[in-house]
Amino acid sequence: MNRNNIWIHIAIAVVVVTLAAVLGQIRRWESSLSTPRTAAPRSVTVPDFSGLGNRRDEAEVLVRFKPGVTVEQIRSIAEQNNDLMDDEYEAVKGLVSIDDLDDADVEKTVRQYAAMSDLVEYAQPNYEIRLDPSAGESETEDLLHREFSGQPNDPQFAQQWALNNVGQDGGKERADIDALKAWLKTRGSDKVVVAVLDTGVDYKHSDLVKNMWTRPDSVPEYVDDELGSIDDFQGFDADANAGDPMDDNGHGTHCAGIIGAEGNNGLGIAGINWNVKIMPLKFLGRGGFGSTKNAIEAINYAIDRKKHGVNLRVINASWGSTQYSRALEDAIRAAGDEGILFVAAAGNSSTDNDRRAHYPSNFNLPNVLSVAAVDRTDSLTSFSNYGAKTVHIAAPGRDILSTWIGDAFRDASGTSMAAPQVSGVAALIVSNQPQISVAKLRERLLSSVDKIPSLDGKVASGGRLNAAKALGE
Amino acid sequence: MGFTRDEATARAKQDLAARLNVTEDSIKASVSDQEFPDLALGAAASGEMSGQMISSGWQIKLEADGKSYEYRADKYQLRLVDFEGSNHVIK
Repeated sequence: MNRNNIWIHIAIAVVVVTLAAVLGQIRRWESSLSTPRTAAPRSVTVPDFSGLGNRRDEAEVLVRFKPGVTVEQIRSIAEQNNDLMDDEYEAVKGLVSIDDLDDADVEKTVRQYAAMSDLVEYAQPNYEIRLDPSAGESETEDLLHREFSGQPNDPQFAQQWALNNVGQDGGKERADIDALKAWLKTRGSDKVVVAVLDTGVDYKHSDLVKNMWTRPDSVPEYVDDELGSIDDFQGFDADANAGDPMDDNGHGTHCAGIIGAEGNNGLGIAGINWNVKIMPLKFLGRGGFGSTKNAIEAINYAIDRKKHGVNLRVINASWGSTQYSRALEDAIRAAGDEGILFVAAAGNSSTDNDRRAHYPSNFNLPNVLSVAAVDRTDSLTSFSNYGAKTVHIAAPGRDILSTWIGDAFRDASGTSMAAPQVSGVAALIVSNQPQISVAKLRERLLSSVDKIPSLDGKVASGGRLNAAKALGE
Repeated sequence: MGFTRDEATARAKQDLAARLNVTEDSIKASVSDQEFPDLALGAAASGEMSGQMISSGWQIKLEADGKSYEYRADKYQLRLVDFEGSNHVIK
């Protein structure tokens, strides 16, 4: 081989290698930036580490450190392991890519970081699957999307497993309502009003205040035949027959946050609706219990406001008992006649509502949805009531982080927390399809569930709420 | 201000003594922390609805004249469970 041929071969080799590197990088950028359009199968629960050697173009690991671990600490940890903190993903707090300078086995590196459980939330390979057409592109895209894009900047979003379950705290990946994909279509609308019929709502809470309903000038003050005129600017308190529905318990504020804590405001959590209007209706007192009579009073108020032009589409009812009330049933029916969906908690007695009825969830009305609670592994919770005929749908209801009185946030469990997930998704649907009827809204929620084998025979739809599917994503 | 565990126990004994017409000193009490299925502590009274959130409180078991009675309490309320066939809100 003469000297000229050698240089030609070297030049060709350099061009080929450079081209391959550039194409590989372009594919990686596409992976992290692209928006998945294909619904991913829901069966995949963990990334498949097998055969990564020929699917990855470099030995990188993605590590999400826990809140409080500083970038300096992360750099120091990486250096101690003879690794390099390669990149920091500002949109996801604590998430960095680690370049293994030893080019050690990726799985070993993942295990090394995952073992630092005090500091690390999770670690996984930065795998490049697109190069392998047999690897299931949509699954990979979906996983990447769930972890790296489309997330709001609310600092406690990572704890909201119900919205985006990436396996945190022993959860099962994708055992969630698929909020990230739903938000590609809509993040709610301030034209949609959802009533939280409960202990009231802390309408001054920093993460709720912008999404609280107030009576517009075009709607007259509420006038009750017996009570007279009530200044209902903030909502209605049927317990005190007054216009101030401030929450003095916390339960209603928790439900409100699930439905509509302001999203992407750099504060606290994200509600299912980043934008919505929450109408607080108080009938449960400070202890969290109240009379059926006051519940009816508050429903009457809601119907009146609807008739006066308020676009009230959903009432959330995270309460109940085993006592039947014909008057309450009639009030809820009347709400349905006005096009209001009534979403009710199925109850927390671990019992079968087909055999022992729980109200109002058991009212056999076309606008009532009864909601059971599942946990972060998609299992029916031990406390949740069920019923193949009378409980319609399941939704996340254990260890749910949301807003609380006193500008606070806390976890809570119960079918109380499951019902507002359904109410929230109902509001998303309405924001996307404002003219939808209550019958079609109810049907849409039920027909778009993720079928869960453990819910077969436990709830009528056999599945758990899926916001993305409900929106046709 | 709400109840403390001791205040709830004392109030429960006071209530039962009045109901049974016995002295408070003759009533034995045992109290344990407990999770309840709802905000009525799993003991809704007639005509009541309650938030369906798991809540924590105290189970107060009282003994008088050889019979057992159950009260449930949290910082907001005290309830007598299944007394003469129904639940009662004491406070």
